[in-house]
Amino acid sequence: MNIKEIEVLLERYFEGETTLAEEKLLKEFFSADEVPEHFRQHQPLFRYFSDEASLTIDNEEQEKVLMRRISRFETEVSGSGMQPVQKRMYYLSGIAAGLLILIGLVFTFKSELLKKHFPGKENASSELAYSQTKQALLLVSVGLNTGLDEVQRFTTLNTAMEQIQKINKFYNYQNQFINPEWMQSPSTNK
Amino acid sequence: MNIQDFNTKVYPLKDKIYRLAKRMLDQNEEAEDLVQEVFIRMWKIREKLDEYRSLEALAMVTTKNLCLDKLKARKFPVESWNDQRQFIENIAEEMRPDHSDLLLGVKEAINTLSEQSRMIIHLRDIEGYEFDEIAEVMGMQENAVRVALSRARKHVRELLVNDKSYEYQRN
Repeated sequence: MNIKEIEVLLERYFEGETTLAEEKLLKEFFSADEVPEHFRQHQPLFRYFSDEASLTIDNEEQEKVLMRRISRFETEVSGSGMQPVQKRMYYLSGIAAGLLILIGLVFTFKSELLKKHFPGKENASSELAYSQTKQALLLVSVGLNTGLDEVQRFTTLNTAMEQIQKINKFYNYQNQFINPEWMQSPSTNK
Repeated sequence: MNIQDFNTKVYPLKDKIYRLAKRMLDQNEEAEDLVQEVFIRMWKIREKLDEYRSLEALAMVTTKNLCLDKLKARKFPVESWNDQRQFIENIAEEMRPDHSDLLLGVKEAINTLSEQSRMIIHLRDIEGYEFDEIAEVMGMQENAVRVALSRARKHVRELLVNDKSYEYQRN
């Protein structure tokens, strides 16, 4: 390949206009040990590209790990796609939710459960409660009645006061009609 | 697709995946891990793999996306750690006799490109992909690929070739 052609190819290469075949020609040209002086500065670029293209994982250990992991996917429960920690949390949250529901149910139906399992006891205690309530109400009622007795005394007093009022009236009339000397003196003294 | 098909059709792509991952991540171990991740992804959709026209394109797109995710995640906390590892790995590569300083220079020049340009130049100049194949992997128009490739090649040339000698050569 002559120098002129290479120059043209290089120019087109940097413009992004070369085809893959032409780029291969360039790489081959620069892979030679002897390259004309003024092309030498481009040699590392094409050498590097050729070198890098042959780079492989080249790590047996790595490859083994890879194969082991791939064959493990085969047996793995597919579709779950969760990390172990995630999986554990998933199951734990399920158990926790179950427990919560259980506790909730126990609290909700506790009274009914008790009634079912200890019917006699429940009835006895309700009767006891009834009689106790009755007694308590009775006590209140008696207390109220005693209070009323006290009030009754005031009515007696009232009737007594009315009698006294009559005497007062009598004195007033006496004042108006008889007007004795000794009855006036308190008013003149004022 | 069963495990035999997978081994014959998908598994041989390992080196291409590895090369692209190494180009993007610039780290051997991370690139090796990424190869595994790509295979796991593809294994998970093995029932649907027959519907794809090109398994290689699918593998490369998956690799590209995973690499971009990794690079995005890397920008934060492990930066200094990565730098140190890269430094050690670069020393190891420098010790290899077939890697002259000049070739290392090419690698470094390519690493200065944007993620997209790096991928395009890799797919074209190292993997030898046609423009339509690159366009499919990158999700770009063929013309845009061509323009980006030309720009990337020129950028690398500028870094590698001494400006004066280049002008001298043109004259």
